Amino acid sequence: MNARVRSNLWGYFFIGPFIIGFLAFTIVPMLASLYFSFTSYGLFDSPKWIGFENYIKMFTEDPRYIQSLKVTFIYVLGGVPLRLAFALLVAMLLNAGSRAVGWYRTLYYLPSLIGGSVAVAIMWRNIFGDDGIVNLALESVGLDAIRWFGEPTAALWMLIFLSIWQFGSSMLIFLAGLKSIPASFYEAASVDGANFIQKFFRITLPMLSPVLLFNIIMQTISAFMTFVPAFIISKGTGGPLDGTLLYSLYLFKQGFEYFNMGYASAMAWVMLLIVAALTGIIFWTSKYWVHYESEGK
Amino acid sequence: MRRKSLLLVLGMMMVLLLAACSNEGSSSGSDDGKVKLRIAWWGDQPRNDYTTKVIEMYEEQNPDVEIEAEYASWDDYWQKLSPQAAANELPDIVQMDVSYLAQYAQGNKLADLTPFLGEQIDTSNMTEDYVNGGKINDGIYGMNTGVNAVGFHYDPELLEELGLGSEIAEGWTWEDYRSMSDKAAAQGVYFDTHLKPDVFFDYYLRSNGARLYAEDGSGLGYEDDQLFVEFFGMIAEQVDKGATPTPDVLAQVTGIEDDPVVKGEGVGIFQWSNQFVGLKQVAGKPLEIAPMPGPGTSEGLYLKPSMFFSVSQNSQHKEAAADFLDFFMNDVEANKLILGDRGVPGSSEVKDALKNEVSEAQQQVFEYVEWAETNSSPMGAPDPAGAGEVIELLDTLAEQISYGQLSPEDAAKSFRSQAEGMLGQ
Repeated sequence: MNARVRSNLWGYFFIGPFIIGFLAFTIVPMLASLYFSFTSYGLFDSPKWIGFENYIKMFTEDPRYIQSLKVTFIYVLGGVPLRLAFALLVAMLLNAGSRAVGWYRTLYYLPSLIGGSVAVAIMWRNIFGDDGIVNLALESVGLDAIRWFGEPTAALWMLIFLSIWQFGSSMLIFLAGLKSIPASFYEAASVDGANFIQKFFRITLPMLSPVLLFNIIMQTISAFMTFVPAFIISKGTGGPLDGTLLYSLYLFKQGFEYFNMGYASAMAWVMLLIVAALTGIIFWTSKYWVHYESEGK
Repeated sequence: MRRKSLLLVLGMMMVLLLAACSNEGSSSGSDDGKVKLRIAWWGDQPRNDYTTKVIEMYEEQNPDVEIEAEYASWDDYWQKLSPQAAANELPDIVQMDVSYLAQYAQGNKLADLTPFLGEQIDTSNMTEDYVNGGKINDGIYGMNTGVNAVGFHYDPELLEELGLGSEIAEGWTWEDYRSMSDKAAAQGVYFDTHLKPDVFFDYYLRSNGARLYAEDGSGLGYEDDQLFVEFFGMIAEQVDKGATPTPDVLAQVTGIEDDPVVKGEGVGIFQWSNQFVGLKQVAGKPLEIAPMPGPGTSEGLYLKPSMFFSVSQNSQHKEAAADFLDFFMNDVEANKLILGDRGVPGSSEVKDALKNEVSEAQQQVFEYVEWAETNSSPMGAPDPAGAGEVIELLDTLAEQISYGQLSPEDAAKSFRSQAEGMLGQ
């Protein structure tokens, strides 16, 4: 054994736990679920091979599945742009800088730390209740109270508001991006007489575009996988009228409530394909709007 | 030096691995020669408390048995039980619900109790219908711990105030229900909260000589979609005229304390008899139980097993488990602790002994169930596998009808085509 091989062995030895864990808890279960997705499997019986039947059933015989796709797309397309816009706005405010900026950064980031938790979802339920704070506010400015839990569209928007409120992590990334834009650019633009709007669209956005791309992709993926708030707020039903039946909630119901493990596995793989396709599309469009400094346009 | 540290690290990893793989308590005999049983149930704190006392009582009388309890809330319970079943590591005794019994029995996870009946388990004081509550195909896969029956739990004082008489008499009909609702709605009072679709549509079908599920569980148990249209059409009408709250109002009712009946805004609730005691406690006023509207009340009504105790197929001590079930069902002292919490007991001896022990509300329930015993028909097969999904589908469709998004006719067709697919797997 020469010295190089031996030092490599040490390397393998130290990453061994991760590799074993990755194989046992990620790769093997993934392959198993791929196999189950082609079977009819009720958890207590042995899987029966049925070919593509699960995949066909999804798009032809299951209106609730189509509904869950619709709800999830509204949630993602409605929630992600709003959340990012909000995150960018707060990041710009914090970038302006004041002495207490560290405090504010922490405060604004807090909701994201606790945002995905059960406790917040329960609190959200109360805030949006019939006699909750939101309706009191609406009534005090002379608007009608909204029945957030009785109306499918309202219930879904309530979930979207909850997701917007968790803007912290993308806000921090934007903030880092903003800090890295050289001040000389803005100074030069001021000398040429550019106003605030022009500076934002001509300097800030193009310089931020790589960071924006990263945020869009990460937020889209995580929005697609949202489960906890929908589960808690609808008490596990996805109601009213399946208005909050997010994809992962329906997947959970199929697998662990109805014991259709094969079908649930197939749903999980379709979800992977959808997320991969979306990510691919975003990447493909990125060459038209993302500018890297090294490109020297 | 380096080799030594490598050995040390490797050794530590081995220890960790072994610790992770070591088997945690199996249900076989223990070192001191005692038979060890595991038992699992779902429930609230009062139930956990008295069940623990019953177990202690049994252990005192049977010093050679040791019972280990595992309990959880309803949701957690089923999420824990399914993987245990898949791994054949179920507790010896598991509490079962009528909506899961078929699924577990057909998956060969539960033992057929027929050989123990009349041996370890004394059924001489129980009716045949009662014991058959746990029947799947040709075996008894769960011991019925007690029964419930549906009825209308109402506030007689409010009824009187509305000018609808002092009580709702046995033999009332859906026609009476409609006209009373009209009068209540005209005075701004709800007549009932709403009829839970799976429970009461099934009742309506039964009272018309059909059932929700086919006896063999392979599909729906009724041919005529008109029955669906009639029943859900009536519910939609009730919502329209304000006799039943709209779905968005109901969405705000999170617990029994929000219920219109408790607040004095509604006449009554259609629900299971074991929910009466809690309702009366929260409402804090006199309430009465009326049977379901007819015609066909006694065909429609059945005694539903509130829950079962089943013995798992992977248990090493099935006889010992059966002996504990017998104690739970037949021992008078034990039942003075249980007090009908798991449904009205089946043993006539136990029921007589409890008559003087229970609260007034519980007594009303006992009386109603006793009346129902002679005015009901056999339950038939428990819910088939896939019932959970069908119930949610029915709930969703009923919701869409109430919101006016779907006509009862279209819902009937949609329900049939989708439910047949869910059950026919």
